[in-house]
Amino acid sequence: MHKIQNKFPIAANERLCPRFYRLAVDAKSILKSIRPGQFLHIRVTDGLEPFFRRPFSVYRAKKFVEILYEPIGLGTRLLAEKKPGEFLDILGPLGNHFTAPPKGTKQVWMVAGGIGLAPFLFLSDELKHKGYELILFYGGRSKGHVFPMKEFKNNGVKTWIATDDGSIGVKGWVSELFRTLDPNPTTTMVYTCGPHAMLASVQSFVKARGLRCEASCEEVMACALGACLGCSIPTVNGYKTVCYDGPVFDIAEVVFS
Amino acid sequence: MPEKKPTTVKPTGHWSRVTGHGSQLNLAVQIGTLRLKNPVTVASGTFGHAEKYYDLEEVKKLGALVPKTVTLHSREGNPPPRILETPSGMLNAIGIENPGVDGFIEKKLPALRRIGIPLFISILGHTDEEFETIVKKFTKEGGADAFELNLSCPNLKQKILVAQDPQATRRVVAKVKAIARVPVIAKLAPNVTDIGEIAQAAVDAGADAISLINTFSAMAIDVRTRRSVLGNCTGGLSGPAIRPMAVHMIWEVAQKIKIPIIGMGGIMTAQDALEFLIAGATMVAVGTANFINPRAPLEVLEGIVEYMRKNKMNDIKDLIGSLKI
Ligand SMILES: Cc1cc2nc3c(=O)[nH]c(=O)nc-3n(C[C@H](O)[C@H](O)[C@H](O)COP(=O)(O)OP(=O)(O)OC[C@H]3O[C@@H](n4cnc5c(N)ncnc54)[C@H](O)[C@@H]3O)c2cc1C
Ligand SMILES: Cc1cc2nc3c(=O)[nH]c(=O)nc-3n(C[C@H](O)[C@H](O)[C@H](O)COP(=O)(O)O)c2cc1C
Ligand code: FES
Repeated sequence: MHKIQNKFPIAANERLCPRFYRLAVDAKSILKSIRPGQFLHIRVTDGLEPFFRRPFSVYRAKKFVEILYEPIGLGTRLLAEKKPGEFLDILGPLGNHFTAPPKGTKQVWMVAGGIGLAPFLFLSDELKHKGYELILFYGGRSKGHVFPMKEFKNNGVKTWIATDDGSIGVKGWVSELFRTLDPNPTTTMVYTCGPHAMLASVQSFVKARGLRCEASCEEVMACALGACLGCSIPTVNGYKTVCYDGPVFDIAEVVFS
Repeated sequence: MPEKKPTTVKPTGHWSRVTGHGSQLNLAVQIGTLRLKNPVTVASGTFGHAEKYYDLEEVKKLGALVPKTVTLHSREGNPPPRILETPSGMLNAIGIENPGVDGFIEKKLPALRRIGIPLFISILGHTDEEFETIVKKFTKEGGADAFELNLSCPNLKQKILVAQDPQATRRVVAKVKAIARVPVIAKLAPNVTDIGEIAQAAVDAGADAISLINTFSAMAIDVRTRRSVLGNCTGGLSGPAIRPMAVHMIWEVAQKIKIPIIGMGGIMTAQDALEFLIAGATMVAVGTANFINPRAPLEVLEGIVEYMRKNKMNDIKDLIGSLKI
């Protein structure tokens, strides 16, 4: 009944660093239309536990469609056990996407917390060779959450790293990395993704400096199709669904509680 | 490796008459004056944005569609979190977020009508007059092939639901019946002592069918914070976790009343749907399963057909209420 529900074979599922895995599926129909910021809704079991599908941002869409994930609970642990050749039931592409930097943009910031890093490789794939200076500010819990990020560097992205425990990079939250900077609002565009507490701090930073910023938000999802109205978050224009109206919002619009 | 093709249904036109084994299967059912080509529909609040995501040729194969409940005025819904997964099911406390009857008629109804199958419009009034006003608006604009009266939403902070009070049920159904020109379906709550009594009240008031069941009142607590997980504090439980209780209620009510029952509650597969039909439901609605497997309603329909063929049944009526005791 669904245009976007398919079973795709897994091409690779490997550990990138102690905490993060990368999974690739051979999904030509998704490759054709997916944009940075969109996500997939994956059924991790044929059984009823866990009951919901799990949403994942697209990490890369070149030969395969890839996701970056961190096993933190039953769903992501089951995903980590999947072997190449197995089929995954996937809905996608879903949601809206990051919009292109406005005219006149020279510098693009990507501010990521933890697994919120996921959508930014795909975004930098799209923005490289367009004359922007690409900068990634990444905050992870500890060095187990950090990998070499060669692919980002190959895209010409300058990476700045902070960890909560200081085991690698600057000690503290990701905001430590740019707290004292004062970028030009007419030539800088900010994209961000991470836990809501982090997004809230980015929101006050960009507001104080008049920067344009898009945020990819998270909420627990059932359908991911805009049908159940279960993933709504408050915005200045009332509740909006993360799955259908988002996941990408103008950060000025979102109300972080 | 090539992409595995989704299992698609053969493009047959009319599911009411499926040929096989040299004989024709009759899947058609009747709700009041309305004839449906087959007994499979979706549950209110679990199906949306068909125009964007669904292959409409496939949606057209269902017997009917039931959109999310519409109220007189728009409602913004409950604060998040609104949903939570639970063992074999989920809690929801959406709070009937909807654009109100005028907004629905303007923004949502045209796309739903274009699909071209009967629409059971689910409506909820906070007073009897609101129910009447909503019905009148749809009667004027057209577009409702039947009304499903949501007498049973557990997420609106009312002390008592209409469907928990036989007199209120009788009164609301009678008022709508008096003005509606299409069949009227009463959707009842499972949170009652005697479901038979409430169903009988709806029958007495002239209901054309009963929808059973809405969600069970339920809650979950985060023990770290000692707060309820849902923003609304309480919610409703749906999904396979409630199925055996739903089947029991359908069986109980089917023995008591003569009008059709639209059965729902945790249907994930055709096997599940068959239980409801055998227990006495005339139609089945797929709800929560849409979130896990959007193809579930069609798979249910295909599976019913397959079961009838295997068991050499020609008419869906041979299946409905066929429980052997
Ligand atoms: C639009 C969107 C995109 C996403 N993209 C990615 C992605 O690219 N990679 C990825 O790994 N994850 C992503 N997530 C989050 C991912 O869906 C969750 O990590 C996943 O649902 C956890 O499932 P689980 O069964 O493993 O854990 P659960 O058993 O559901 O949860 C385990 C524990 O983790 C907590 N938890 C669950 N979800 C989150 C969360 N999102 N943030 C913080 N704590 C959480 C729970 O409260 C619980 O304590 C995304 C979420 C959304 C909404
Ligand atoms: C997210 C969600 C939203 C729902 N919204 C409505 C609604 O607006 N009106 C209504 O009558 N029932 C609503 N229901 C109840 C379903 O229509 C159905 O009666 C119930 O979920 C049991 O069936 P299921 O287990 O197959 O989902 C909702 C259920 C869910 C899970
Ligand atoms: S998850 Fe159902 S509306 Fe977003």
